[in-house]
Amino acid sequence: MNRFMKSSLRIGLILLICLILPHRAGGTVDDAQSFALQAAEPYVKEGFQVREDYWGGDLGSGEKKAVRQQLFKGNEYWFWLGTEVERAKISVHIYDAEGKLAEQQDSWEKGHFAAAHVIPKATSSYFIIVAVEESPEERTHWALVYGFR
Amino acid sequence: MIAFSKTLKISASAFLGAALCVHAAQAPRQIDVQKMSKQVENVVVPLPNEIFGALNKLGSVNWREYVRTEKTSNFTERPRIALLLGTVIADGFIAVQAEDAPAVKEIGQRVLSLSKGIGVGNSITPHAKAITEAADKRKWEEVRQELDRTQSSVQAAMNEVHDEKLSQLVSLGGWLRGTQVLTSVVTKRFSPDGAELLHQPDLLVHFQTQLQGMPEFNLPIIHDIQSALGQVKPLVDVGPSHISAESVRKINDLTTKLDSGIVTRN
Repeated sequence: MNRFMKSSLRIGLILLICLILPHRAGGTVDDAQSFALQAAEPYVKEGFQVREDYWGGDLGSGEKKAVRQQLFKGNEYWFWLGTEVERAKISVHIYDAEGKLAEQQDSWEKGHFAAAHVIPKATSSYFIIVAVEESPEERTHWALVYGFR
Repeated sequence: MIAFSKTLKISASAFLGAALCVHAAQAPRQIDVQKMSKQVENVVVPLPNEIFGALNKLGSVNWREYVRTEKTSNFTERPRIALLLGTVIADGFIAVQAEDAPAVKEIGQRVLSLSKGIGVGNSITPHAKAITEAADKRKWEEVRQELDRTQSSVQAAMNEVHDEKLSQLVSLGGWLRGTQVLTSVVTKRFSPDGAELLHQPDLLVHFQTQLQGMPEFNLPIIHDIQSALGQVKPLVDVGPSHISAESVRKINDLTTKLDSGIVTRN
């Protein structure tokens, strides 16, 4: 292989990587939100009103983020977390103002979806902890939506 | 063979069950809140109907008593329009609670005209149309959802043009009107559970912090709200104690005065 061929191959390879890379990590928080809403869908039929507002961002593997939310005694809440990274494993848990785990037993995690259910014992501020447990991506977008009834 | 196929079926069912219903991995029973509060994201302000829903569960409320459709003053100051817009959207939720279709439709039009006044009318037109259509069909769940979408679209449009502070005032206006109605209902028929719905000290801090970041909005109504929030905070930040009937009445007085300041020119 002559020198010209080698350089051309190298440039071609670099261009190919440049083209592929943005697609591998090309999701957005909006994509993550559509997955969170997908997780919420079955609950709408059970009478949950899903809020339009949502939280989102990106986290590295093993990183956590806390969001604080005012919850009202008498209501029942579900928080749904989603990411577009299908091979990621994510989690969401709810703690009361004193830091005690406050969620119901039926909270669940399934790959790039997770959900936490809470029936507040008191009207107060609660902590919702979202985490990217594992992910093939360096940064993983996440979105958290919630519903109440 | 039958035993084997039975075992196979049971195993398959167990596997399917496990695959469909994956329970949450063991989460720590306790976390250090002090450590967590340093990494906390912004709070999402609850919509009035979230509070009204909890209130409804404590006993029936005559929501018609709180429906308001009279046309409020027109303002030119954008912060005042933003506060009023939040208040009017909250009025929409009250009209939905009362299942008052004409009021809902009127409020939908008012929201549209205020949104135009603040330069975000285009994003609201389809929502106003959807509110009217759903109200005509008395599909209250759809109206509720559309009011939420309206507020979200207004705020997204404001954020897009870097008017985040106006967007925050929309939320604040809605919260104030919601709190005024909540305290009216609880004052009329006091119960510790009803009063507990006012236990929102973190939200008060959130609003106070946001208002401190708006020195450019040097308007009397903004100063009045700042002062009132300062007075409300000790009344609701009572720890494990109950919020008293007297406190509820005081908060109602304060929020009623603010509401009057938001909807009228003087």
